[in-house]
Amino acid sequence: MPRMVASFANVNLMSLEGLEDPLRFSRKAPPCAVVIYGANGDLTKRKLMPALYRLAFEGRLAPGFAVVGVSRTAMSNDEFRERMRESVKKYLEDSPFDEQLWVSFAQGLTYLAGDVGQPDSYGELASHLKAVAAERQTEGNVLFYLSTQPSQYAQIAEGLGSVGLQHPPEGHSETWRRIVIEKPFGHDLVSAGVLNSRLQAVFNERDIYRIDHYLGKETVQNIMAFRFGNGIFEPLWNRTYVDHVQITAAESIGVEGRGAYYQEAGALRDMIQNHLLQVLATVAMEPASSFTSDAVRDERAKLLRAIRIMRPDQVADNAVAGQYGPGRSGSEHVPGFRQEKGVEPHATTDTYAAVTFLLDNWRWSGVPFYIRTGKALPKRVTEIAIQFRTAPLAMFRKATAGAEAIPNVLILRIQPEEGISLRFASKRPGSGMQIRPVSMDFNYGSSFGERSPSAYETLLLDAITGDATLYTRQDMVDASWTAVQPIMDYWATQKYDFPNYAAGTWGPAASDEMLRRWGHEWRRP
Amino acid sequence: MACEIIKPDRILKELGELWIDTAKSDPGKPGTESGDDGLLRACSMTLISFVDDEEDSMALGETLALLMREHPSRSIVVRLREGEDFLESRVLAQCWKPFGHRKQICCEQVELTATMNHLQDVASVVGPLAVPDLPRLILLRSARIVRAGALRKILPLADKIIVDSSRPGAPGFGELGAMLDSGHIAGDLAWTRITELRALIAHLLGETVPKVITIEYSGREAGPETRYLEAWLDGGLPDTHVRIKSGGGEGLGTPLVIRIDDTIVIRPGVGCAEIEMGALKQRASLAVGRDDELLSAELKIVVHDPVFERALNRITA
Repeated sequence: MPRMVASFANVNLMSLEGLEDPLRFSRKAPPCAVVIYGANGDLTKRKLMPALYRLAFEGRLAPGFAVVGVSRTAMSNDEFRERMRESVKKYLEDSPFDEQLWVSFAQGLTYLAGDVGQPDSYGELASHLKAVAAERQTEGNVLFYLSTQPSQYAQIAEGLGSVGLQHPPEGHSETWRRIVIEKPFGHDLVSAGVLNSRLQAVFNERDIYRIDHYLGKETVQNIMAFRFGNGIFEPLWNRTYVDHVQITAAESIGVEGRGAYYQEAGALRDMIQNHLLQVLATVAMEPASSFTSDAVRDERAKLLRAIRIMRPDQVADNAVAGQYGPGRSGSEHVPGFRQEKGVEPHATTDTYAAVTFLLDNWRWSGVPFYIRTGKALPKRVTEIAIQFRTAPLAMFRKATAGAEAIPNVLILRIQPEEGISLRFASKRPGSGMQIRPVSMDFNYGSSFGERSPSAYETLLLDAITGDATLYTRQDMVDASWTAVQPIMDYWATQKYDFPNYAAGTWGPAASDEMLRRWGHEWRRP
Repeated sequence: MACEIIKPDRILKELGELWIDTAKSDPGKPGTESGDDGLLRACSMTLISFVDDEEDSMALGETLALLMREHPSRSIVVRLREGEDFLESRVLAQCWKPFGHRKQICCEQVELTATMNHLQDVASVVGPLAVPDLPRLILLRSARIVRAGALRKILPLADKIIVDSSRPGAPGFGELGAMLDSGHIAGDLAWTRITELRALIAHLLGETVPKVITIEYSGREAGPETRYLEAWLDGGLPDTHVRIKSGGGEGLGTPLVIRIDDTIVIRPGVGCAEIEMGALKQRASLAVGRDDELLSAELKIVVHDPVFERALNRITA
C-alpha cells in the first residue's frame, strides 16, 4: 500500500507534475538571448553583466543563453568578452569569480557595433540574432535591454519594429520578445506620455518592462511579506491607528561626478517620482487578491492614483526644495553642489526634496505621508517609519515628565542593516512608574545569513521568465508623474535662495517647518 | 566517572548568565547611538545534534559554526559514548561579526555528554531546552543510536530528523521509511546532495519526455544518491525507461554520467557539471556539497517534502 504523504501549501503528490520540485528548485530562465543596448556603458559593466554572470553561477540560466552587446564603439567579440570579464571581476558582490565558468558563460557573449540612428543596424541585429538562435539554441526568445540615454528609447524601439524584431516569427506562439527600459520614463507627464505612445506603437504593453530597481530590492519586497504574510499588523494599518508615515532616503555623499546628469534631474525627479512613490505604494496599497503580476500592479496603480494632486497654492506648504552648500561629512570637507564638477555655478537644482502627500482613499484619509530625500545628508539610510497614534489616555503622564504618551513607531529599514524595529514604552526597573521607550529589533542579516540576490538579478530573471510583478506599468508611471507635476511646475516659477542647507545636515529648516505645521517632526534615523 | 544531576532550569539559567557576561565583554563603542554596536542575539530554530563521542569535535564545531550564519539557532550537541554513568553539560556562545557590520551576532550552544544508559535522561533534558514556538530539528550522526535501536526515543524531540544515509552506520532506507510511516518528517543529505543535479536535469528537459535515461555510477554498487536519482526520474517520468549501470572501478556508487536519449550528456563533477547538447558544450556550476551547505538546504524545509517522500516510497516499495 502506498505510504500516505502529507500535502503542503496546496501542493501534493497528485498535483506535482513531471520533475517539478517547488520546495527545492529555484526558478530557472528559459533559453533566450539578451540584447543590451549601451553595452559599453556603466550600468552594463557595474550591474547587468555581474547580475547575469551571478545567475549563471547559480545555474539559473539555460545552456541556450546568449548576450548580444550593442553600442557605437567598434570592438571584436573577444574584446567585448574581455571587457565584460574585467567588469564582472571588479563589480561582482558577495560572490567568487569562477574562471572556468566564465569561459563557458563568455562563449554566449557576442558584440555588434552599431549606431541606434542607423536604420541598417537593426537589419544587422536581426541577422545576428538568427545566427545566435541557431548556434546557441535560444529558441528565438529575445529580451531587449535599453541601457542607453533615455532620449534613445523610442528610437531604438521603432528601429527594432522596423525589422519586425518586436514579434516572434509567425508560427512560433511560444516564443517571446520583451523590452526593458530604465528610468527615467520621461522627464515630466507630457514627455512620459509621448514616450509611452511611441513604445506602445511597437511593443504590446505586456511586453514592455519598465525597471525601477528599488522594487527589486529584497527589503522592499519584504514590506509586502510583512504586511500581508502576518495577521497582526494589517488590522492596524489604517487611519484609525496610524498617525503619520515618514519615508526617508538619505545619501551621505554628494553628486560625486554625476553633477552634469543630476543638474538636469534633481531629487524630486530622480528619487521621489519613481523609487519613493513606488515604496509609498508598497506601504499603503490594498492587499492584492493574489500574488500575480496584474493583481499586485493594479493595487499599486490604484494607490498612486489616490494621491491628492496639489493645487499651485498648496505646493509651498507641502513641498520643500533644498540644495546643499559646503559643509562637513564627519571630519571631511564636502564642497557645495554648485562647486561640484560639471555643475553650473548658479544651478537651481534640488538636491533635497521633501513632500507631504495625502491619499484620498478610505484607508488613509487624513494621514500625512512625508517623503524626504537628499544628497549630502548626515548618513546613508533608507527607511519607512510608521508612527501610530498614542494611547487614548495618558495614564503615565507623570512618569514621562509631563510629556504625552510615547507613540509606538514601526520602522522598516531598507538600507543599510535591513530590518524591522518596533518602539514601545516600558517600565523602568525600580519602584514607581517610570516609563521609557525601548526598541524591539529584527535584523534581516542575522536571521537570514544567506546571500540576498541583487535587485538586478531579481529583475533580470523576472523579465526573462515573464514575471512583471516588480516592474512599473504605464498607468503607474502616469499616476506618479501626475502627483509630482504640480510641484515641478510651481518650483520652476520660484527663485530659491540656494544653497539652503549645509552638507552634513538634515536639510533645510523649511522641511522641519513643513512637519511642524502638522504637529510632527522628522525622525533622526 | 563523573555524573552530575542535570536540570533544564539550571542550563537555561546558565544561558541567561552567559548572555549577560558576553554582553559585558562587548558593550559596543562608547558614545555611539544605542543599538548600533554590541551584541545581537539571534535564533530561528533549535538544532539538536546527536553524535558519537569519537566524532571529530572540531569538524562538527566548524560545520555548526558555518551553519549558524544562515540559520542562527540554539544548538544542542549531544555526544554519546560507551561506558557507564556519565552525564555532564556546558553552555557556550558562538559569535561572529558579519563583514562590514558593527554588531556581533551570537548564538547559544549547549553541549551534553552522556553514556547510552542516560539517553532517556538526555531526552528529558533536551525537550525543555528547545526554544518555544520555533522549529526543532535533529541532526542524527550517531551510529550508536541506530545500533541500539533507540531512534524512537529521540524522534518526539523534533519536528524533523535529518540523516545522511551515505554515512557508515546511518539509518538506511528502511528506517527512513519507518519514520515517515509514523508521521515524522525526515530528510536525507544523500537526497540533498543531488538537488542541484536534479534541478539541472529538470531545466534541461523542460517539457520534453525522453525515451531512455541512463545513469552510470562509480563503483560496483549504486549508492543512495544514485538510487534516489533513479527513483525520482522513474516517478516523474512514467513513460521514460530509466536504467542504472555501473561505470566500474572503485567508488561510492555516486552518479558519474547521465545520458538522456543520447542527445544530452551530463557529467557531474565537484562544483560543476559538464553538459553536452549536440554541438553545444556548456558548464553549469553545482554546489560543492559541503556538510554545512547540505544541512543548510535541509534546515530550510520543515514540512513534509512530497518529492523526496515519493522517491523514498519507490525505493522501499
